Amino acid sequence: MTMNLLTLIVLLPLAGFVLNGLAGNRLGKGFVSVVGCGLPIVAFMATVRAFLELQATGGSALVETAYTWATVGDFRFEVAFYFDRLSALMTLIVTGVGSLIHIYSTGYMKDDASYARYFAYLNLFLFFMLLLVLGRSLLVCFVGWEGVGLASYLLIGFWFEDPAKAAAGKKAFITNRVGDAGFLLGMFLIFHALGTLDFDAVNAAFNAPVAPAVSASLVGLLLFIGATGKSAQIPLHVWLPDAMAGPTPVSALIHAATMVTAGIYLVARLNGLYLHAPEASHVMAIVGLATAFFAATIAVVQTDIKKVLAYSTISQLGFMFLALGVGAYGVAVFHLYTHAFFKACLFLGAGSVIHAMSGEQDIRKMGGLARKIPVTFVTFAVATAAIAGIPPLAGFFSKDEILWFAFASERGGSPLLWIVASFTALMTAFYMFRLLMLTFLTPSRMDEKTAHHVHESPFSMTGVLIVLAVLSAIGGFFHVYHFLEPVMPMPAEDEALEHLKLPLIIFAVVTGLTGLAAAVYVYGKGLARAERLQQRFAGLHRLLSGKYHVDELYEAVLGRPLHWISERVFLDLGDRALIDGTLHGLTGLAQRAAGRLSRVETGNLQFYVLLAALGVVASLAWMWGHG
Amino acid sequence: MDRTQLLLTLSIALFALGLVGVMIRRNALVMLMCMELMLNGVILSLVTFAERTATVSGAVLVFLVFVVAAAEIAIAIPIVLLLARQRHTLDVGAWSGLKG
Amino acid sequence: MSLETLLLYFFATAALAGGVLMLVARHPMRVALALISSMVSLAGIYAILGVHVIAVFQVLIYVGAVMVFMVYVIMLLDVRDPSFLERYGRALVPSVAIAGVLAAALGAAVSRGRIATAADLALVQPEGAPASFGVQPFSIEFLGHYWLHFELTSVLLLAAVVAAIAVIKAGRRHDG
Repeated sequence: MTMNLLTLIVLLPLAGFVLNGLAGNRLGKGFVSVVGCGLPIVAFMATVRAFLELQATGGSALVETAYTWATVGDFRFEVAFYFDRLSALMTLIVTGVGSLIHIYSTGYMKDDASYARYFAYLNLFLFFMLLLVLGRSLLVCFVGWEGVGLASYLLIGFWFEDPAKAAAGKKAFITNRVGDAGFLLGMFLIFHALGTLDFDAVNAAFNAPVAPAVSASLVGLLLFIGATGKSAQIPLHVWLPDAMAGPTPVSALIHAATMVTAGIYLVARLNGLYLHAPEASHVMAIVGLATAFFAATIAVVQTDIKKVLAYSTISQLGFMFLALGVGAYGVAVFHLYTHAFFKACLFLGAGSVIHAMSGEQDIRKMGGLARKIPVTFVTFAVATAAIAGIPPLAGFFSKDEILWFAFASERGGSPLLWIVASFTALMTAFYMFRLLMLTFLTPSRMDEKTAHHVHESPFSMTGVLIVLAVLSAIGGFFHVYHFLEPVMPMPAEDEALEHLKLPLIIFAVVTGLTGLAAAVYVYGKGLARAERLQQRFAGLHRLLSGKYHVDELYEAVLGRPLHWISERVFLDLGDRALIDGTLHGLTGLAQRAAGRLSRVETGNLQFYVLLAALGVVASLAWMWGHG
Repeated sequence: MDRTQLLLTLSIALFALGLVGVMIRRNALVMLMCMELMLNGVILSLVTFAERTATVSGAVLVFLVFVVAAAEIAIAIPIVLLLARQRHTLDVGAWSGLKG
Repeated sequence: MSLETLLLYFFATAALAGGVLMLVARHPMRVALALISSMVSLAGIYAILGVHVIAVFQVLIYVGAVMVFMVYVIMLLDVRDPSFLERYGRALVPSVAIAGVLAAALGAAVSRGRIATAADLALVQPEGAPASFGVQPFSIEFLGHYWLHFELTSVLLLAAVVAAIAVIKAGRRHDG
C-alpha cells in the first residue's frame, strides 16, 4: 500500500484533468464538479494517510520510484517521489487548500460557459504542483516547475477572448522562462559537479567534509534567479499584478497559496547547499527585503482590490526570502504555511466581494458592505488581522519569527534588515486595513443599481471562507519550524541579543496596531482625507501608482530593441533581402538566361542549316583532335 | 594529280557549293536546286569509287539515288508551291513562325 | 596529257563553274540553267570514266525529268518577288566560312589518303570478271542481284505519286 501511495497522490489530479478535459463538456457541470473537486479531496486524504505513515516511521522519508524515464550511459533519470517532513507539509497545503479552492470554484464559476475547461486546467495545475513538491530530483521538480508555469498561463488567460487577459498570460509565462534559464544553468552545474540531481544526494554532498568542485554560491544564485521568476521577486515580479486578469480562485490558488511558493520550497529544500553559500544567501536576503518594501509601497496606493492583494503577495514572498537569506529556512516555510491560509482567504473573500458587486473591482466604488455581506466581512477581517500580525492570529507568529531572525541570526542578521522589515510590516498593516476600511466599513460609495444587487455568496463559497478564516486564526499555534527542525536546522542566534527578544515582539505588535490606527485615521470617514494627502504628495503618488514605471522601463530597454531587431534585421534584412532576394534572384537569373538562350531559335530555316553544318565541322574537328 | 583525287576534290567542291547555296540563297526554289547540286556531288564520288574498284554495287546505288531524287523533287516542289501560295512569296525568310 | 585527261579537266571546270554560277545568278531560271550545265558536265565525266549507264540515266532522269519540272515551276511562278531583289539571306559570311572549313577538312582528308594499290583493290572485288558498265552487263548484274531493291523503288515511286496527289488535293481544298 505504501509503495504506490505517493504516485497515487500525484496521479489523481491528472486523472481529473484527463476526464474533465476530454469528457467534461459532454457530461455536464455536475460530473465536472464531482470529478474536479472529488479527486483533489481524495488526494488530500491520501496525503494525510502518507503523513501518518511518515510519523509512524519517526520522520524518515518515504521514497517511491514511479518509473525510469531514461538511461544515458551510467546515469538513470528516474521519476521518483520523496516524502519527508517538508514535502509532507507542502503536499498537505497544496492538496488541502487546493481542494478548498476547488470547492469554492464550483460556486464562483457556476455561470461560466467553459466550466469543464476551468476544472481541467485547475486539476492539471494540481498535478504539476504535486510533481514539484514530491519530486525527488531536480529534474522531476523542474518538470513540475514548468508545468505549473504552463497551467498558470492557461488559467490567467482563461478568458482569452479578451486580448489584454491573453497578454497577461503570455507575460507571466515569458517572465517565468527568463528565470528558468537560471534554474537550468544551476541544474547543469550541479549535475556536472555531482553526477546526480536527487535532492537528498545534493544536500548530503554539500554537507560532506569535502566540498564539491563547484561554487555553492554560484549554484545558489542561479537557482535563486529561477526562484525569482517563479516567486515574483525583483526584477521578475512584473507578471504577478497582471496575472490578476485570471479568475479570482486562480489568483488565490496559484498566485497566493501554492505556485508562487515554489521558489521558497526550492531554496528550503536545498538548505544543505545554501548553508554553504553565504554570498548567495546575502543576495537573497537583500533582494527579498527590497522586494517586500518596494511592493508594500505600491500596495498603499492601489485601487483595485485584487491588485492590492497581488502586491501584498509579492511583499510577503519577499519576507519569506528574507528569512531564507538569513538561514531561517524553517521559519520561511512557517510563513509560507500561514500565508497560504490568510492570503487564500483574502483572495477568496475578494472574489466574494466582486461576485456581490456584480464584477466591480475598484475599491473607490465600494464601501459599507459589512452589513450586507457579513460572512465575507468577518472572514476578510480575520484574515486581514492575521496578515497584519495581530496576535494571536497565525500571521503574528510567523512574521514575528522572521523579524527576530532578521535581527539576530548569525548568518547575516542585522539591525538594518530588521528596521526595514519592520517598516514594511507597518506598511503591510496599513494598506491591508485600508483595504478593509474602504471595502467594508466606510460609508457606501456604490451606485444605486450595484447596491441593490449586493448579496451574500452561496455556501460553497462562504463555507470555504469560514474554514480558511479559522485556519488563519489558529494555524499559528502549530510551530512548523520545530516540526521541520530535523530536516532544516535553525540558524544560530546571537547570544548577546537574546534579551531583546521580548521587546522586539512587543514592538512588532505595536507596529501592527499603529498601521491599523493610521488606516482608520486616514480612511475612517471615506476618501476625503486620502485625497487631500494625495494632492500634497502628488509626485510621490504618481511614482507609486505608476509602479515605479518598471514595466515602461522593460518595454523601453528590452521590448522595443527586440521589436526593432525583429523587424529591421530579421524581417527586412534576413527574410526579405536575403532569402526572398536569393530566390527571386535565382528565378530572375533563370528567366534571363532562358531569354538569352532562346535567341538561338530564330525561326529562320537557313540559320538552322548553318547550325547543323557548324555541328558537323565541330565533330570533325574533335575527331581530328582525338584522331 | 591522280584522277580519283581530282574527282573526289570536285565532288567535295560541289557539295560545299551546294551547302553554301542552301544557307545563303533566299529563294525557295533556288534552295532546292542547290540541294540537288549537293546530291550530284555525292553521286560523283559514288561513281568514282565504283569505277575505281570495278564493282557494280556503287552504280546500283547511284541508280537508286536517282529514283529517290526524282521522288523527292516530285513532292518538294508542290509543297513549296503551296507554301508560296500561302505567303504570296517565295522568300524563305517569310516563314519564321517558330521564332523564340 | 592525253585527251581523256584534258576532257576530264574541261568537264570538271564546267561543273564547278556551273556550281558557282548557281550561287551568283539572280534569276531562278539562270540558276536552273547553270545547274543543268553542271549536270551535263557530270554526265560527260561519267561517260569518260566508262560508266555509260549512269551517264545516260543522269541525263534522262536528272536533267530530263527533275530539271524540266523545276524549269516548269520557275516559269509558273511570279518573278516580282522579294527574293529577287535580296538574293542572299542573313548568314552570308558565316555560311561561306563554315562551308569553306568543311571543304578544307574533307579535302585535306582526301589528299592525305593513300592511293589504293592493286592489292587493295583485289580485296574489294568480288569473284569473277571485273564488272563492265555497259548497259547489258549492268542490267543483268542489276536485275540479277539487286532485283529486291528495284522492286522497292517501285514502291517508293508509288508512295511519291500518292503523296503528290494528296498534296495537290490539300492545296485545292485550301483554295476552294
